Amino acid sequence: MGMFDYEFMQRAFWAGGMIAVIAPLLGIYLVLRRQILMADTLSHVSLAGVAIGAILGINPSVGGFVIAVAGALVIERLRQNFRGYGEVSIAVIMTGGLALALVLMSMDSGLNRSFSSYLFGSIVAVSTTQLWIIGTVFLLVLIYWAVMRRPLYNITFDEETAQIGGTHVRWLSQTFSVLTGMTVAAAMPIVGVLLVSALMALPAALALRFARGFTSALIMAVSIGLIGMFGGLTTSYYVNTPPGATVALLLLAFLLIGMGVQRIVYRIRRDKDPGYVVDVDSRRFWQRQSRSSQKSNVKTEVLNKN
Amino acid sequence: MLLASMQDIVFGYDREPVVNRLSMEIYSNEFMALSGPNGAAKTTSLKLLLGILKPWSGRVQINRNDKGKRPVIGYVPQQVASFNSGFPSTVFELVRSGCYMRLGLFKRFGDKQEALVRSSLEAVGMWELRDRKIGELSGGQKQRVCIARALAQEPDVLILDEPTTGMDLESRKGFYELMRHHVKQHGRTVVMVTHGLEEAEPYLDRMIRLEREEGGGWACLTTSSCSARFGPEE
Repeated sequence: MGMFDYEFMQRAFWAGGMIAVIAPLLGIYLVLRRQILMADTLSHVSLAGVAIGAILGINPSVGGFVIAVAGALVIERLRQNFRGYGEVSIAVIMTGGLALALVLMSMDSGLNRSFSSYLFGSIVAVSTTQLWIIGTVFLLVLIYWAVMRRPLYNITFDEETAQIGGTHVRWLSQTFSVLTGMTVAAAMPIVGVLLVSALMALPAALALRFARGFTSALIMAVSIGLIGMFGGLTTSYYVNTPPGATVALLLLAFLLIGMGVQRIVYRIRRDKDPGYVVDVDSRRFWQRQSRSSQKSNVKTEVLNKN
Repeated sequence: MLLASMQDIVFGYDREPVVNRLSMEIYSNEFMALSGPNGAAKTTSLKLLLGILKPWSGRVQINRNDKGKRPVIGYVPQQVASFNSGFPSTVFELVRSGCYMRLGLFKRFGDKQEALVRSSLEAVGMWELRDRKIGELSGGQKQRVCIARALAQEPDVLILDEPTTGMDLESRKGFYELMRHHVKQHGRTVVMVTHGLEEAEPYLDRMIRLEREEGGGWACLTTSSCSARFGPEE
């Protein structure tokens, strides 16, 4: 394929591939924890970081990265203070970040032009430095997930029961937010500020509709993310569209098609088997199930009343 | 053995205290019920005991066991918030996650845990539905799955907030028997909030009733009369 002759395309594919694994992975947890808007907020905040970085004369990507991580910690803190309506913290930080970014941008006219690549993403924008940042974040997220997936599952299901069971909910929640911030900042050059959250939310939304269990949801989300990313980058190269938007539209198309197919399949199944009744005899509940022929060594215990 | 105690707890959500000088003791190896009218701060008291809420003043103490370890606590809340229809786990996956507390981060999920999950699900009559998505279950079934998850933790203390809400009479009786079995055979401690004291009474070792004081605060009365049939063994 001709496009791989260009080094920037190779870089874009490497970067995109790594992001398309970690963003949907985190996305599942974010959606289930009702925090998916955090990704959007953090991307706006890190835009302010980019502007700060440019004005202070440091690498804008590094500026965006640092501010995204700081923003993640602040959001987490506010979320715990506004229990019950945690979205408020998101609204506060998002508007704050965007306003700051706009004001800072107007101060530096040279920045204005390169900003569009931050807003919408660009396949030529991935520098070697950014590739290193993305690679590091990729490894960090994967290691974190591999180590913490059990407690993460528990706090995603219910924070209170997890805390009582001995999980350090606060610490886990904060580190998770920090990694989300890192991922958002790392994904920014390719997908763009405005569409980072699409890569987290859309694969998760589709996977959660179809998956039969938690593990399969994770696998599905990552696969969908990868297909969307590679398909989007390829289209973007040939048709010359912004990569972030192309990926997002492709993922959106997957979601719509998936929902349509699911509807049709359900209808067909319902027509074939109209009398589907859940076979649960409520009076059998709680009774001891004394099947002595079990292979596993479950001890059937006798209740002694009296 | 004294497992946990609360002394002179004062707590409120805003300016007014809802719990005023509450003292309570929980002994190990007991089946205990906490009851009282609506708004008597039963759930609040449990949360204070569990450390989810921090009291304004007073002391909550959870004693360590003989091996010097903090007891493992299984908690079944009144309404499990995340139980929306979207949560993508199967029943088996969810109950399996109960074992994670004891397994830690890396220990393998082996045959022993597999058997534990199975017996927990069987105890609540949900083994046949293990492959169903939890979002597809009815309210009462979700409640059972949550109880099974708590059992799979192999808890030293099991704390349940109105576990029998929405169950039919037969199920409730079965549930009380199951809890009594865990207290007597597995040496666990069970604390539950309930409104159905009369029917639970024969199974209980002790009950605590929160009642409104003359002045408007809540007082705590402990009654042991209910333990006539199953009196403490000491």
